[in-house]
Amino acid sequence: MKLADIVRLSLNSLTHRGLRSWLTILGIIIGVAAVIAMLSIGAGMSQNVQSRLSGFGADIITVSAGSTRAFGSGGTFTDRFQPGEPPFGQSSSNQSSSSTTSPTLTNTDLTAILSADGVEATTGIISGRTSVSYLSQSVTITVEGVDPSVWNTMTTSTVASGRLLESGDGMSVLIGSSVASGMFDQNITVDSPMLISGKTFTVVGVLKESGTGGFGGDDRTVFLTMDAARNILTSIDPSVFTSIQVKATSTDTVDATITSVTNALYASRQVTSDTKDFTVTSPTSMLATITSTMQTMTFFLTGIAAVSLLVGAIGIANTMFMSVMERTRLIGILKSLGTKNSEIMKLFVMESGIIGLMGGLLGVFLGFIVVGIISEIGFNLMGLGVRMAGGTSTSVAVVTPQLVVFALAFSTIIGIVSGLIPARKAASLQIVEAMRSE
Amino acid sequence: MNPVIELQDVKKIYQMNGVITPALRGVNLQIAKGEFLAIMGPSGSGKSTLLHMIGALDKPTEGKIILDGVDISTLKESALARLRGRKIGFVFQFFNLHPTLTAVENIELPMMIAEADKKERQRKALELLRSVNMEHRARHLPSQLSGGEQQRIAIARALANDPEIILADELTGNLDSKTKAEIMQFLLRLQQERKMTVTIITHEPEIAAYAETVIRIVDGRIAQGGS
Repeated sequence: MKLADIVRLSLNSLTHRGLRSWLTILGIIIGVAAVIAMLSIGAGMSQNVQSRLSGFGADIITVSAGSTRAFGSGGTFTDRFQPGEPPFGQSSSNQSSSSTTSPTLTNTDLTAILSADGVEATTGIISGRTSVSYLSQSVTITVEGVDPSVWNTMTTSTVASGRLLESGDGMSVLIGSSVASGMFDQNITVDSPMLISGKTFTVVGVLKESGTGGFGGDDRTVFLTMDAARNILTSIDPSVFTSIQVKATSTDTVDATITSVTNALYASRQVTSDTKDFTVTSPTSMLATITSTMQTMTFFLTGIAAVSLLVGAIGIANTMFMSVMERTRLIGILKSLGTKNSEIMKLFVMESGIIGLMGGLLGVFLGFIVVGIISEIGFNLMGLGVRMAGGTSTSVAVVTPQLVVFALAFSTIIGIVSGLIPARKAASLQIVEAMRSE
Repeated sequence: MNPVIELQDVKKIYQMNGVITPALRGVNLQIAKGEFLAIMGPSGSGKSTLLHMIGALDKPTEGKIILDGVDISTLKESALARLRGRKIGFVFQFFNLHPTLTAVENIELPMMIAEADKKERQRKALELLRSVNMEHRARHLPSQLSGGEQQRIAIARALANDPEIILADELTGNLDSKTKAEIMQFLLRLQQERKMTVTIITHEPEIAAYAETVIRIVDGRIAQGGS
């Protein structure tokens, strides 16, 4: 029999079984759609994180107090906490083994870091959350105290209007793009007055939207000079920094710089890797941690989705076995008319292959719809973060052409494999016995 | 006589759940080219088994079956399939049409299996449909046809690849007496026009009367007629 005729007969049989064929195909549709959705969301999230982290200066290293072993990227969490509070994720055993009080970062550490190899510049930063008012509307915002003379050389952000902070600035603030528009009902422009903890400041600059939550690019942060910040964030000890930012001499040697900074701090703080009471992170190390965490999650979710695909495959095998049983007599007839065993086998494998391919095609289509819906919901759920970051450019889920091709090939193969055993059974039937069956 | 079919001491023993049932106990038979043969016998006598052996639908436990000079017991499965498809046309008691193909597609099916050219096979299917006076039912499914109509389609299908041999197993068993006569007249005309070898199985003497030669099978052996 010619291949075209095998396809014709297979399609004839599938269409005559109507609803049953569609239900079998539905099993594969759901499985493929689930796998597509999971893998796309995984790819989208990792693309999202990468694009957000790329806004960080790749040569900037962050040192924060406290050691977080459970979560490598702890720096981003710990530097949002006031010294005196245990940083998020820090285990109590860690704390008690290092000292009786919470570890802090001071000028001594700054000096130690500056003398380490591969360090071009370093600056201490204090940050905390406090009430900020504009036109009688109050919002709690993160304020950061920086040393403009160093910070300006390290930041990757640029101003949209006005200027960066200068060393002599007293009651001046530089605000992130979201602070300027979005967080308050009224947009804030350069030269507007803002009330921070009861003191009046003047906006001297608005930063361009960076899309990142990282160093010098936080859209939702108000920047002040160090002295002004210390007057506001009075709960922070005057000798203490929330975090220290280090600029490496080259982006290529960031890893070496991390090692030298870590070693310098071991020496100056008189701790070892076991009693370590600080954390050194870089965008690269954070990216690696987040990516591997997300890969694990994607792997896990895809695994669950793959189970539904497996159930779909069993559905095909089941349908094909039923179909062989029901058509035992027809198989006998076809053989009596000269159909070879190998052709009977091809007929059934073709049928299950078509079920797989159809399931794959429609599954990819449904997957696209699911991904579209999840992207919409994702923007709302992950919320402000994504939208403020300029939601149009970042995506929650990405369906790549490779994924589509893979899904189609995989579902077809699943169909063929599920049909193999029933097909072999059909081919091996004895003609006379087969024709006797009802 | 030049036999187109020759059986030499053919035995068939069925074995099921340890029970051994001999169906054919040594049959010798020669069927000449163009002969119209009827095999008669009570049910369980082995006449259907004999027809299956001749038609290469089943293999004998012992003995030789020579079709057109070729010992078919030596052939492989695929060669047997090709032989069935091209040299033999079957007509069965229960018609055995493909249930989801139309009448004309059913006639086309053996040619499709034999990989005939698509246009040629469609032309021939329509021609055969006309020869059995069924052109008005071309697009009907078997379930939409009467028993007599289905059997006419089945006969047309059996002729599709111009076989040398037609084997029919109780082909009138499910038909009323008027239709029986009609079908048998049709078969007789075919046999004479096309010089085909026809072998039918029947338990009805009035059907066997259409044949030139009649043999009787009892208990797996030829009791009367044959060679």
